[in-house]
Amino acid sequence: MKAGLEFTPDLFSVAAKEDRNKEKIHRPSIKYWPDVWRRLKMNHLAMTGLILIAILSIMAFVGTEINGFKYFEQNYELINVHPDGVHWFGTDELGRDLFTRIWYGTRYSLFIGVMAALIDFTIGVLYGGIAGISRRNTDAIMMRIAEVIYSIPYLLVVILISVVFTQAGQGSSLFVLIFALTLTDWVPMAILVRGQVLQLKESEYALASESIGATKGWILRKHIIPNALGPILVNVTLTIPRAIFAEATLSFIGLGIQAPRSSLGALANDGLAGLPVGNAYQILIPAIFISLTMFAFNVLGDGFRDALDPRLRK
Amino acid sequence: MEKVLEVKDLKISFKTFFGEVEAVRGISFTVGKKETVAVVGESGCGKSVTASGIMQLLPMPPAFFKGGEIIFNGENLLKKSEKQMQAIRGNKISMVFQDPMTSLNPTMKIGKQIVEGLVKHHKMSREAAENKAIEMLKLVSVPQPEKRVNQYPHEFSGGMRQRVMIALAMVCNPQLLIADEPTTALDVTVQAQILELMKKLQDQMDMSIILITHDLGIVADMSDRVVVMYAGQIVEVGLTDEIFANTKHPYTRKLLASVPRLDMSKDEPLYSIDGTPPDLYIPPKGCSFYDRCSEAMKICKDHVPELDEHSATHQSRCWLNHAMAFKGNSRAGGEK
Amino acid sequence: MTEPLISARNIKKYFDVAGGQLKAVDGISFDIYPQETFGLVGESGCGKSTAGRTIVRLYEPTDGELIFNGKNIYKLSRKEMQDVRRNFQIVFQDPYASLNPRMTVEDIVAEPLDVHQAYKTREERSERVIELLRLVGLGEEHVLRFPHEFSGGQRQRVGIARALALNPKFIVCDEPISALDVSIQAQVVNLLKNLQDKLGLTYMFIAHDLSMVRYISDRVGVMYLGHMMELAESAELYSNPIHPYTKALLSAIPIPNPEIQRNRKRIMLEGDVPSPINPKEGCRFVDRCSCATDICRKETPVFVEKKEKHFVACHNV
Repeated sequence: MKAGLEFTPDLFSVAAKEDRNKEKIHRPSIKYWPDVWRRLKMNHLAMTGLILIAILSIMAFVGTEINGFKYFEQNYELINVHPDGVHWFGTDELGRDLFTRIWYGTRYSLFIGVMAALIDFTIGVLYGGIAGISRRNTDAIMMRIAEVIYSIPYLLVVILISVVFTQAGQGSSLFVLIFALTLTDWVPMAILVRGQVLQLKESEYALASESIGATKGWILRKHIIPNALGPILVNVTLTIPRAIFAEATLSFIGLGIQAPRSSLGALANDGLAGLPVGNAYQILIPAIFISLTMFAFNVLGDGFRDALDPRLRK
Repeated sequence: MEKVLEVKDLKISFKTFFGEVEAVRGISFTVGKKETVAVVGESGCGKSVTASGIMQLLPMPPAFFKGGEIIFNGENLLKKSEKQMQAIRGNKISMVFQDPMTSLNPTMKIGKQIVEGLVKHHKMSREAAENKAIEMLKLVSVPQPEKRVNQYPHEFSGGMRQRVMIALAMVCNPQLLIADEPTTALDVTVQAQILELMKKLQDQMDMSIILITHDLGIVADMSDRVVVMYAGQIVEVGLTDEIFANTKHPYTRKLLASVPRLDMSKDEPLYSIDGTPPDLYIPPKGCSFYDRCSEAMKICKDHVPELDEHSATHQSRCWLNHAMAFKGNSRAGGEK
Repeated sequence: MTEPLISARNIKKYFDVAGGQLKAVDGISFDIYPQETFGLVGESGCGKSTAGRTIVRLYEPTDGELIFNGKNIYKLSRKEMQDVRRNFQIVFQDPYASLNPRMTVEDIVAEPLDVHQAYKTREERSERVIELLRLVGLGEEHVLRFPHEFSGGQRQRVGIARALALNPKFIVCDEPISALDVSIQAQVVNLLKNLQDKLGLTYMFIAHDLSMVRYISDRVGVMYLGHMMELAESAELYSNPIHPYTKALLSAIPIPNPEIQRNRKRIMLEGDVPSPINPKEGCRFVDRCSCATDICRKETPVFVEKKEKHFVACHNV
């Protein structure tokens, strides 16, 4: 028997009922999103991406005011100046300070990227959700339509729309640009959401809800979408860099954002002329920023994907 | 009786986000030759962790052996390297799992999976091994074994797959078979077949069996001795007859009373144990059954009882065994 | 002679699968009386779960009628069905899958109230939820927790609380204890019994654990491959089984009593439970039956009353 334990009759008397807690739950409550955040924090690469995005976003607004030059300020005496102490990123062929212009461009690149992702998200969730919850025939029709839309070469669509609207005098509109970008880009999101809905609607809690008498719409809203948000979030995060790059491509071929506005892609386009004459920095710097932005969103998206995967839970 | 396996004060824990979870908290038992020892308990009691621990099939991390020894044929398995363990697994000690679908490789023909073990452990030629595989399938009553040896797992039904699992486990004539809930996923009529099969094989091959289960009917049917686990500890151990007829631990008693039986009258009430087993992330200070025991005493809360002997083969871990319990508490001592 | 609460007549449910037609439920008929527990047993593939879900019209039937309150519920409009649904609830098998992992216990239990708009104020809703949780042995402290924080038994009790929210008359318990530990099974079954007495509920208890079904049920039906093989009062079925399948089933269950178990004579069935896809004509049990004759292969036996209140479908009795 235990050394030092004195056995008294009192110890062997019946224990009080209140003293025993039968339904105790010991562990603290773990909610879903805080747990995802915790797992994300453990992923250093993803956190790097997040911090980078934060810096880029803040600088997009603040950066243009830092060194005193305005983004449109032209100075014919200081054209094509290489990066130095005054013009940290140099100047372009019109003498405009590139440091300020980079941040100005980032502003638009981010805006376009985020807007495109949001629109993709909205249309995708609505379309995919309805397709997934509908009967097989309706679903099949909806999916065929989506596939046809997606199979149209997106660049062709964008060029057509840009040309049409340019002729109508609206070509420089930001919204036309975003419209062109999202016209076919929502389909992958819709397909993803539909897949999630198809899978989740077979879950037993969806069935339980049906047995209570809930309508399909109710089940979609309350049960399916909340549980599908994980993969959707990953997709949204990865759509942003895609949209940014798409816009950069368009601007690079002269179809995207028009002067006086500018984006990172437009800046790269402007800088192209500087390449053969030894002003490589004019294209290099915008290109680096495009890469950095895309890299940041991509690693964050990957990080979300890992943090949401129940199998990778530590 | 000759001892095949001896587990001494085994402790296994898991490192988790919340801290250490002590899944197995110091258990000791032996398995003799040609003996069937049933390990009974509910989910979370540590029986599956023990089984996988003996075979060292637990993922390490997060699991780790906190202490104790596992003596097999005179040697401590915990001191063996992975390579040495590989020579033992499937060869001297085999395991059969609950779900045959996940333990069989779905992309490999059944025959090939059986042959692999023979070629590796017994250095048999391919041809001899293939003949032996067909022989094994015949032994476990798989019809048309010559044909079925070339089929894939998904072409077999649940009961058939479990037979194949058993064939796979038996092919190298192991000394010890660890069966972790082998029939839980099967229908009752199929379960009866599989249990009969195991008994027959045990007889033919002089094999010992550790049978992990929660079904007390299977325990009564198959086992010579019973180990009852609760919250990572052994609370009672003894011969099957002793455990059923002369139950000592309140948990075992309640467990037996909570199982409806075909041989009892319909009007006899079914006793249930209130509450749920303790979370082993904060192991209970005293007796792990304290919160749910209707005969709990004050001493039970803070002090862990030792294993007391009732006979050469029967032990239980409970303060009610203590001499003073009879004086202080008139309800103690063998009442339902 | 009391009127049955529900009458099932020739219920059929077929599924179209790769490989043909899966006749999960192939023509079963029975009555369930108020405040009784009707047990339905059978092994995998017998169709008992499908039967339970078809009876509450969670699945649309391929054929048959279900009479409740004098009407065939399969013929009701969506709106009328909504009303009936208040009286028909299900408790599901898997306590880990039948609760939405992202909803709090409060929202889960209140969902039926939300769907049917059965309260006026938030307080009313909260109070009702706490009342329901107390009925099943849980408490106010569990209201804001998530399903994954509970044990299997506790989750199942949340499922039961949800089923009780609208004061139903009839609850289908679809294998409610199969996924639980032994001592917890007794807990849940005792809870169900208490609730039945307290609230005057009628149960259909679907399970494959015959010992438990015998304990809780008043009458028991045995299914095999979509057909009802035998139906009798609980005590009668277990002490005087007539159908060869029932006899084999009962003898296969190990009894937790070493002396009795060792001395039992067991009826061993050969082979596995066959597939319900494209079944052949004749008695479904013919391939595994030890007393099968020619007529068993040709004609499906009719379900008739062989003894008082004891129905069997077999040619050889």
